[in-house]
Amino acid sequence: MVIERRWKKWVFFYIPLTLFIIGTLFPFYWMFITSIRPDAELYRSWRAVNNAPFWTLHPTLDHFQDLMAKTTFPTWLWNTFFIAVASTLISLFCGLLAGYALARLRFPLAGTLGTSIFVTYLVPPTLLFIPLADIIRNFQLGNTPWALILTYPTFLVPFCTWLLMGYFKTIPRELEECARIDGASRFGAMVRIIFPIAVPGILSAGIFAFTLSWNEFIYALVFLSSPERKTVPVGVVSELIRGDIYFWGQLMAGALLGSVPVALVYSFFVEYYVTGLTGSVKG
Amino acid sequence: MERRDFLKSAGIAGILAAGRAPAFAQGSRLHVLRWVDFIPACDVELKRQAPEASKALGAEVQFEFINANDLQPRITAAIQSRSGPDIIMMLHNWPHLYQSGLVDVTDLGEWQGKDQGGYYAQSEAAARDGKRWLALPHGIVGLQMAYRKSWFDEVGAISWPKTLEDLRQVGMKLKKKGKPIGQTLGHTFGDAPAWSYPLMWNYGAAEVDKSGKKVVLDTKEAVESLKFMQAFWKDACDEGGLAWDDTNNNRAFLAGDISCTLNGASIYIAAKRGQDKIKDDRGEPMVRDIQHGPIPNGPAGSWGYHVAFSHAVMKYSKNEKLAKDFLKWLHGKEQFGKWFEVAEGFSVGSTKQWEKHPLWDRIDPPMKGYRTAAAASRMIGYAGPPSAKATEVYSKYIIVDMYAKAVQGLKAEDAVKWAADELKKIYG
Repeated sequence: MVIERRWKKWVFFYIPLTLFIIGTLFPFYWMFITSIRPDAELYRSWRAVNNAPFWTLHPTLDHFQDLMAKTTFPTWLWNTFFIAVASTLISLFCGLLAGYALARLRFPLAGTLGTSIFVTYLVPPTLLFIPLADIIRNFQLGNTPWALILTYPTFLVPFCTWLLMGYFKTIPRELEECARIDGASRFGAMVRIIFPIAVPGILSAGIFAFTLSWNEFIYALVFLSSPERKTVPVGVVSELIRGDIYFWGQLMAGALLGSVPVALVYSFFVEYYVTGLTGSVKG
Repeated sequence: MERRDFLKSAGIAGILAAGRAPAFAQGSRLHVLRWVDFIPACDVELKRQAPEASKALGAEVQFEFINANDLQPRITAAIQSRSGPDIIMMLHNWPHLYQSGLVDVTDLGEWQGKDQGGYYAQSEAAARDGKRWLALPHGIVGLQMAYRKSWFDEVGAISWPKTLEDLRQVGMKLKKKGKPIGQTLGHTFGDAPAWSYPLMWNYGAAEVDKSGKKVVLDTKEAVESLKFMQAFWKDACDEGGLAWDDTNNNRAFLAGDISCTLNGASIYIAAKRGQDKIKDDRGEPMVRDIQHGPIPNGPAGSWGYHVAFSHAVMKYSKNEKLAKDFLKWLHGKEQFGKWFEVAEGFSVGSTKQWEKHPLWDRIDPPMKGYRTAAAASRMIGYAGPPSAKATEVYSKYIIVDMYAKAVQGLKAEDAVKWAADELKKIYG
């Protein structure tokens, strides 16, 4: 019996888990190895004698130094951070109010409105960037961070609203009603009772919004033109791909450094994030 | 001298004497969008020239460089929103695709042709629609076949193969030694079309007739070119090439995995720049073992496809006159000459005068083939006039896919028929 149980645990738990971890972490490992691999090894054939594609015996920080010295990577990093934080805050604010209204207030066509907000999220940015470019021109926001801070909410607000609306629906109405009986206004009950309970949902919506803004490419490419205004995804691609030559070492160093803030945000809030997605408020 | 000419000369003399442009141009800003050049020094040279241009024109000139693949989204957004860079670099025959958003630059086009020895047909086809110049040709990036000289010698190919069939024979011997030819047939903007279109032309096939309205692809010549490609692929090529993009062959060549590939001069120049890192199997700098040859002759000749570059003034620009003045300055012999020298043969001129430049006397021997490469070039959409429809065929990779389908097992006749049907949907 014991042997059978062990066997089952290996087949159904340990082996799939190991494969999953390898599949998830291998791209990061590959990114890391490529970023510290000297150029001479990057161009070595897989068939070459003594070739070690999965590690390197001559690690170097040259690619990181080149990235920092020969490009304006720190500026791109700051731009990306500022734009991602600002657009996330705007989107969360709008999403909280809209999500609450759709989940709690009874008004005609609330359900239809909720669905249509979600549908707007499905419009691909590759179509939206053309009319948005027109708006950006009219407001004379081209080549400023505000071009992105104000356009990212076009896809972040529907997403946050939808996610938070679902979360608010899992919070029992009775909690809010008790507060109302005790004299709280609707706004007061919303801010003092519902929002604190909804922190996991708010955080997971925030993390998602932050990640989406951090990685966004097409709007950043179209609306920003000066090298010092660019974000990491656009700056790295513009400066480190020259015709048909890719500077793999620096590209991977840039991708690795660019993914660190997102990884940190996830690791700090992972528990809230899981709770937020599973909607585990009990009545 | 006529009164008008006198006034022009006097005006220019006045500007030169004052060392600054007239007051009306002061304070303007000119935004120029280009690709990130493969030769970093070319971008550096343009940035160096920018303040000089600013001084000469009395307006701030600002260059922006982005990845070549990202140019089209920027152009689309700029034209649709009627805002963005005043001048945008165009590749291939894009000026035809975006012509409704471009300023007529016929005066500049005519001036440059006369001033610099006449255009290559490729440059003219890319930027001219009948009598109207849609953009001002700037340069051409030539594509040749880079190969490992010593490996070719080892299998008895002392000189570059003259015909495609000779190349297949040599490739067969090389593949048996584990050193195949590498060619992409993937959806990638440079190397795949630059191989597929010439292969079609060199067997005497074409997309359309001279009118550009009738699809004439479904011929025995096209079928023959596909049959060659099927045999060439199986006998001589690295069959992983179906999934390659423009970068994979560079990497495979520099890693010593393939013996030959169609490419710009980027492989040679990368090997030259990284001599201490990129070595051959004997530990010597690989650059010493790299040579270039044109796509060999087919039964109907030896044509190549070389990428034409031009600068277009955008119709929405509020600085149209300034933009034209700047282009005349930038494309002039003096400024272009400096940029041309820095390009080391990777980019050649759009006009024939640059074949006579002293650079070609001192350039590395393997680069000399690029000197006249552009002369043997045809434009996509051949035999018809250049058109936006040809660009659509190119953008949908129909000709590339025709060859890709054939090497994956579809009968040559069926692959040609499939491609001809797709072309008819576009050309009508």
